[in-house]
Amino acid sequence: MSPAVPTHPRRRLRRLAAATVAALTLVAATACSSAVDELKNTSGERQEGGTLRVGALQDIIPARIFTNSSDGTDLLISSVYDSLIDYPLDKLEPKPSLATSWELSQDGTQLSLQLRDDVKFHSGRPFTSKDVEFSIKTWADPVWTVQLQRTAAAITGFDTSDEHAITLTFAHPLSNIFDLLDMLPIIDSESIDQLREGKAFVGTGPFEFESWSPGAKLTFQRNDDYWRGKPSLDGIDVSVIPDPQAQVSQLRAHQLDVILGASYRDFETLGKDDSFHVNKWEGAESQVYVGTNVTNPALSDVRVRQAIASALDRTRVVDEVLRGAGVPISLPWPGYSPAYDEKANATYDYDLDKAKALVDEAKADGVMIPKLPLTYPSEAPIYGSIAQIVQADLAKIGIEVELDPQENAQVVQQLIGAKFPGLWILRHAYAHYTPSTLAVSAYPFNADHNASLYVNPDYKAAAEKVWKQKAGEVDPADYTALNEQLLEGSFLLEIAIILPQNATSARVHDLGETKRGEPVLYDTYLTK
Amino acid sequence: MTDIAVAEPLVPVPVGPVPDDPAPVRRPGLLHALVHGRGLVGLVLVGAVVLLGVLGPLLAPYGPTEQVAGANLLGPGPGHWLGTDELNRDIWSRTLYGIRADLVVVFAAVPVGAVLGVLLGLVTSWWSVTDVIAQRAFDLLLAFPALILGILLTAFLGPGLLTVGVVIVALEIPVFGRLVRTAVRTVREMPFVEASQVVGAGPAWVLRKHVLPNSLEPLTVQLAVSMSVAVFVEGAMSFLGLGVRPPHPSLGSLIKDGVRLLHDAPTFAVGPLTVVVALVLGLLLISQSLSEARRA
Repeated sequence: MSPAVPTHPRRRLRRLAAATVAALTLVAATACSSAVDELKNTSGERQEGGTLRVGALQDIIPARIFTNSSDGTDLLISSVYDSLIDYPLDKLEPKPSLATSWELSQDGTQLSLQLRDDVKFHSGRPFTSKDVEFSIKTWADPVWTVQLQRTAAAITGFDTSDEHAITLTFAHPLSNIFDLLDMLPIIDSESIDQLREGKAFVGTGPFEFESWSPGAKLTFQRNDDYWRGKPSLDGIDVSVIPDPQAQVSQLRAHQLDVILGASYRDFETLGKDDSFHVNKWEGAESQVYVGTNVTNPALSDVRVRQAIASALDRTRVVDEVLRGAGVPISLPWPGYSPAYDEKANATYDYDLDKAKALVDEAKADGVMIPKLPLTYPSEAPIYGSIAQIVQADLAKIGIEVELDPQENAQVVQQLIGAKFPGLWILRHAYAHYTPSTLAVSAYPFNADHNASLYVNPDYKAAAEKVWKQKAGEVDPADYTALNEQLLEGSFLLEIAIILPQNATSARVHDLGETKRGEPVLYDTYLTK
Repeated sequence: MTDIAVAEPLVPVPVGPVPDDPAPVRRPGLLHALVHGRGLVGLVLVGAVVLLGVLGPLLAPYGPTEQVAGANLLGPGPGHWLGTDELNRDIWSRTLYGIRADLVVVFAAVPVGAVLGVLLGLVTSWWSVTDVIAQRAFDLLLAFPALILGILLTAFLGPGLLTVGVVIVALEIPVFGRLVRTAVRTVREMPFVEASQVVGAGPAWVLRKHVLPNSLEPLTVQLAVSMSVAVFVEGAMSFLGLGVRPPHPSLGSLIKDGVRLLHDAPTFAVGPLTVVVALVLGLLLISQSLSEARRA
């Protein structure tokens, strides 16, 4: 028998390295497959309690907590707070929440609401009519930059003589008063200073705020004394994960139960897998658009803006970026809105010849069109794709665009402060509410002060007219006039209606959504 | 008075090779190392990538940002060798143009950093005061990992290829500065340097004629290593969105897009990844072969 030949140290090292790599690969593969198996092997049996792990793209910003400007904020608002009424997803018909019944005066300038008498804040303090007054006045305070600030400020009288009833008096009829009551969270006056600092968020909702690690995590625990009954879940852990791809990976690896931010392509792929549910929320639509700063010399000419509107290949955006989960539009309204007008909605259908002619005409009149910056949030995946399609579309009509991706917080700041230098791409909401809410409240549309810095007395008059009518009794002709103003001004160029989506593992059931586009977790439960 | 006795007459030492003594072995030159073994493999890999980059505009069937109607996220096929991305752009064409962006970074930023680092190292390390100042400045730069430095500079300069270049220059200056300093401190103690100083040579002359030529070999090796690091830095910065801005491609941004679409288009990232691997591996093989030749 020949003696064993000693192995060369370098060769031994290589073998050891190879064995380590193989072992690590095996461990990783086993871990992944076991996670996927775990997902597929859910028994379907309802689990009592449990903590829901949610992935959000954006963190909360306490100073902008009432602006619906991040998915983290949306989840906090729907979990911690209640509103006076709730709209169902499919119609603008108020349903009782903290208010049990209401009566609008004949002239539409007074609204009396009966309030629940069995509701307590998370601090243990009973909810009263004074809290409604405080909440409305907080929203009316410009410091919070709330979009419905004008509507809240138009409420001039508060009769709180009864702790469980309130009568609101308006400066004029408010066609969108119920929109305000649906969106307005009832805030605890005693903890407003801590709210401003992000230390406490006290409401009457199904979950109590527990902790916030800025940029990382939000946690909530169940409110055992919730007036609707105890929620199923023990709590919610929200992880701020700005990378949508990382959210999808963590959902696949069973490290998250719900993801709020992913590309529409990822949602499409997840939807084909039995291990996940993808929810599309009709009735909570938002609209993606190209905004224009009309004080930019090139964009101050309406022909240039209309040319851009005609050059947008909306169908391609819907097909390729939104994967069919959207509708191309020229006007913001969804089909069920009282302001919807099918013919007007086709005004800016894709027409490169028309667009080119408008640009040529403007240039012939001496309008200079230098390279325009196009700002968009870098985190959400759809914006980058849409921005590059828009850039290619505009290049076809001779308008050069420079992409300017920025952090969402910076983009929101520019939106609120009307500081965009040229073009921008974002989403807006509120078109699925009473049309006046959009025209007088939304940052991009507000006829008084909008992100485009568009000032037009006719537009302002049209917006005010649909706003200052009794709720539910607005003259349809006034909506037609408003649509004409929106199309003529073309300061905001709609691309498509978007159906909000989120994805859950198969263990998650009964996830809901408010009309405001916030996830509702009160009824949500997990299965084993 | 003392007499000096001479035992035997002095014989002049013969000039030339000693009979029966084997001829001294000449070590193989750096050029030899590059055209043999792993050096050759490295040269072929880097050469192939450079060739693809240089000939990119001729080889690319589409423009780097051209969106082809209806070609949404297609797999590899005859019309699109590496497929298309989610914005209907030909990945092969984008990869070729992406190589060009990387080549600019590798073959412009690294040499600039190297030249600046060498000059700083040469000049400052001769005198102790300037040496201390320069070394502490190098310490400061070296304290930042490449990506942290990248993020820091991007905060001031904004994302873009120029920023990537500045980051790489900033990374390379202390590396080359330190390398030259070591050479200066070694070479200046050598007898021939002392001899030249005795006959009146000044610091500039000594640095130029003695120190620099004796430092070139390690600098050449470091240059190849630094180029491979530069490929990595560009890739990492573009992957994080700090590098080349959309819609223009770079290898890093292409890999980023490929990873994002890994589930839907698993072949997307293959092309750009192969190129990065070839470039980094090729440059490392070149540096290894040069290093071995130097030590031989």
